[in-house]
Amino acid sequence: MTREQPTSAPMKHLPLAHMVLLLGLAILLALPLLSGGNDYILQVFTHALLLAILALAWNILAISGSISLGHAAFFGVGAYTSGLLSLESGVSPWATIPLAGFAAAVIALGVWLFCRRLRGAYFALATLAFVEIPRVLTDNWDSLTRGSLGLVGLPGLPGLRLGPLYFDIGASSIGSYYFVLVFGLLLLATVTLILRSNLGLALQAIREEETAAASLGIRVQGYRLLALLLSALFSGITGACYAHLVHYIEPGMVYGLHFSAIPVIFAICGGRFTIVGPALAALVLYPLDQFVFHPLLPAGHEFLYGAVIVLAILFLPSGFWGQLRKGQFVSIKTGSIE
Amino acid sequence: MSLLRLEALSKRFGEHWALKEIDFDLEEGEIVGLVGPNGAGKTTLFNLITGRHKPSSGRVWFEGKDITFYRPHEIQRYGISRTFQSSRPFARMRVLENVVVGRIFSGKFHLFPHTEDTNMARQLLELVGLAHKEDALAGELTLSERRRLDLARALATEPKLLLLDEVVAGFSPLAVKQAAELVQRARERGVTLFIVDHFMSLSLTVSDRLLALDHGEKIAEGKPQEVMRNRKVIRAYLGTRHDDEAQSAER
Amino acid sequence: MWTTVLVSGITLGSFYTLVALGFALIFGVTHTFNLAHGELIVFAGYVAYWMWKTYGVSLLLTFPAAILATLVLCLILQRLFSRLREPMEMNSIVLSFGLAILLQNGMLFFFSGDYRLIRVPLLNQRIHLPGLSLSYGQFTLLTISLLVLALTYVLLHHTYLGKALRATIQDRESAALAGINVRGMGILAFAIGAVLIGLAGPLFGSIHYLYPTAGLQATLIAVTITIFAGVGQIRTLILGGWILGFAESCTVVLLGASWRELVSAIMLLTLLALRPHGILGREEQ
Repeated sequence: MTREQPTSAPMKHLPLAHMVLLLGLAILLALPLLSGGNDYILQVFTHALLLAILALAWNILAISGSISLGHAAFFGVGAYTSGLLSLESGVSPWATIPLAGFAAAVIALGVWLFCRRLRGAYFALATLAFVEIPRVLTDNWDSLTRGSLGLVGLPGLPGLRLGPLYFDIGASSIGSYYFVLVFGLLLLATVTLILRSNLGLALQAIREEETAAASLGIRVQGYRLLALLLSALFSGITGACYAHLVHYIEPGMVYGLHFSAIPVIFAICGGRFTIVGPALAALVLYPLDQFVFHPLLPAGHEFLYGAVIVLAILFLPSGFWGQLRKGQFVSIKTGSIE
Repeated sequence: MSLLRLEALSKRFGEHWALKEIDFDLEEGEIVGLVGPNGAGKTTLFNLITGRHKPSSGRVWFEGKDITFYRPHEIQRYGISRTFQSSRPFARMRVLENVVVGRIFSGKFHLFPHTEDTNMARQLLELVGLAHKEDALAGELTLSERRRLDLARALATEPKLLLLDEVVAGFSPLAVKQAAELVQRARERGVTLFIVDHFMSLSLTVSDRLLALDHGEKIAEGKPQEVMRNRKVIRAYLGTRHDDEAQSAER
Repeated sequence: MWTTVLVSGITLGSFYTLVALGFALIFGVTHTFNLAHGELIVFAGYVAYWMWKTYGVSLLLTFPAAILATLVLCLILQRLFSRLREPMEMNSIVLSFGLAILLQNGMLFFFSGDYRLIRVPLLNQRIHLPGLSLSYGQFTLLTISLLVLALTYVLLHHTYLGKALRATIQDRESAALAGINVRGMGILAFAIGAVLIGLAGPLFGSIHYLYPTAGLQATLIAVTITIFAGVGQIRTLILGGWILGFAESCTVVLLGASWRELVSAIMLLTLLALRPHGILGREEQ
């Protein structure tokens, strides 16, 4: 079939975008070399990657049109589930991390109970309020969660043996870094696959015009729930990884506004209608915060996040990556994948 | 057995009867125009048939099945599609994707789009004259293009019955003529059509029958020329009232 | 014991209504969900704290400064919010979420993360009435809150400007057709909201520890009461405030102070689940 005039001229920006992505990936892969063995740089980027993963997970829900201001609920429940299970039973974190994902998905069912009929602003408000439930419960249920003291001395991630290869993950900064990088790339691939599939089409259709979507046979509520569950699952796993990487968690930290706000900020600044935008924003903004603003302004350096989201919503509502790839919203290839 | 049967269908919003005891039968292969002044209850009737609203009383039968309380996506799967009065494309998705969405979810679900789905979507875009815009974002289309996209998207679900809500409002005479051809082509594909058309510009030329509503009540049905001569219909159109309540119910 | 709970519930609830009133007014007139509302209250509290600590100004005399400070800030915010496009509610939530983070970090920079309290010894002394005992603090809180609510009621119901504001809340388009300057009403709503926030802040600082992230609770309280009441109805706002205050007091007595923060969250979630189309109830027919 011939196409006379591709109206939005999508090919023009494509090579630039691809070059940026390839360059970024190369830098990430070579970072342990580039950093010259500097542990601090690696730790900052490990954390940035975790936040990028959280933003990717958050965006699965946002693709369906629901903005959550309470993803700390899933992150925190994931962190606590894996932390407590591995502390109390001595089971390897490799077993407890997936369970943390499921626990977060169960919590998502609780969110669904309240938010099923909510849209837009009201959905956002409800998620903001919902975080208080797991936070206050964790804070007060001392016999189960050890209360506000938090969990200390969490086991790190054990090494993995694959045939003759041994990956030393938790014991060194390089190991942790590559583990999180691989996890991030896997999630990126998963999200890409989801969004390029018919499931992704359904989620976008629901976001754009829910009534029309239903009139075309899309089970709106089913897909909205599915997006929430997937988003919570990956956020929970991220929380669990975080717990085992920093070895210490407490309720005010993992359920704090920080982990609710961070994915919103990164996704909106990066471009919430794109696949990689949220992750890119995390990898740019978090190191910027840590390397530049934190030393300059130890108290209050996170004003950066407030400032960028205010600027983005006022001047660049589709985010910088969305702007760069104008017209290149998440999209099936016009050829089709089979 | 008629394709669609409405049985004493009523809808009340608070104190206001948007529809009152509507009985109507639609036969397979027909094109029926639904006419009436603002606030007559035309869109409300469509909303009841497609399950977007539930009737206060009465029944909707489709192919002999009672679908009154089915949900919108279920009703769609039995073969009823619609377009909307205010066109509702998926604005930040491509034109082709819009149509593919219509195709994919009406049948058995598969995880990835098949080549045949995209091919069929392209054919439909060809049919409505949007083939050259398949890569554009739907939000960038003009009003007339959006309406045509709506039509292609609805046809992609391969409906047995297609409800068109004001597809030609604001169109030039030439565009109306093109739309009439489109409707005829849809019928040739085996689709039965029910068309809301306030100004009757489309329904007079293509309809086999007209159903006229006023104030939520049926005032006439039959051959277009007969309905046009019906005194109640003439009075409903000429005795124009600007009844705010009725207008808001139409929305 | 239950009279104590009732007294503290009503006192707290009246104060909560004051906390919510500015939020409800701004939301009603401009459809702006200002999630930075709590941060503004904490900010006003810090201004009062700073004056009290540095210059020994008495609590009541800090109000003008707090009001002035929030007025300036709110008018700046109004400029930002007025740049937003539809859907106003969603966009304003995201924007104010960012503003809240900005304010929190600004306060962290200027006042550090330490817990601060405006300690006025007199407020802890108790007044004994027959069958009832309350502290001067509660008495002050109750009196000022109710006084401000009454004044706002008079303003809204018995002045020309108030009537114009209420008309704008009810239907912006009709109000504009009736010759009301809707944009001006938006600025006015932010200004009145700022005064209410400036009054609530110092009171907040005298009953609750001030720290940069203390605002979230206040925001949740304001949102909860507003959703309970709908907008423009001060009487229903007071009812909502009292119910929330009483529920919190009961929770503190029965379960302990650490469970208090759950009350407004659960009340908000329940209200939203019951009224999914929100305050304006713009459900399509």
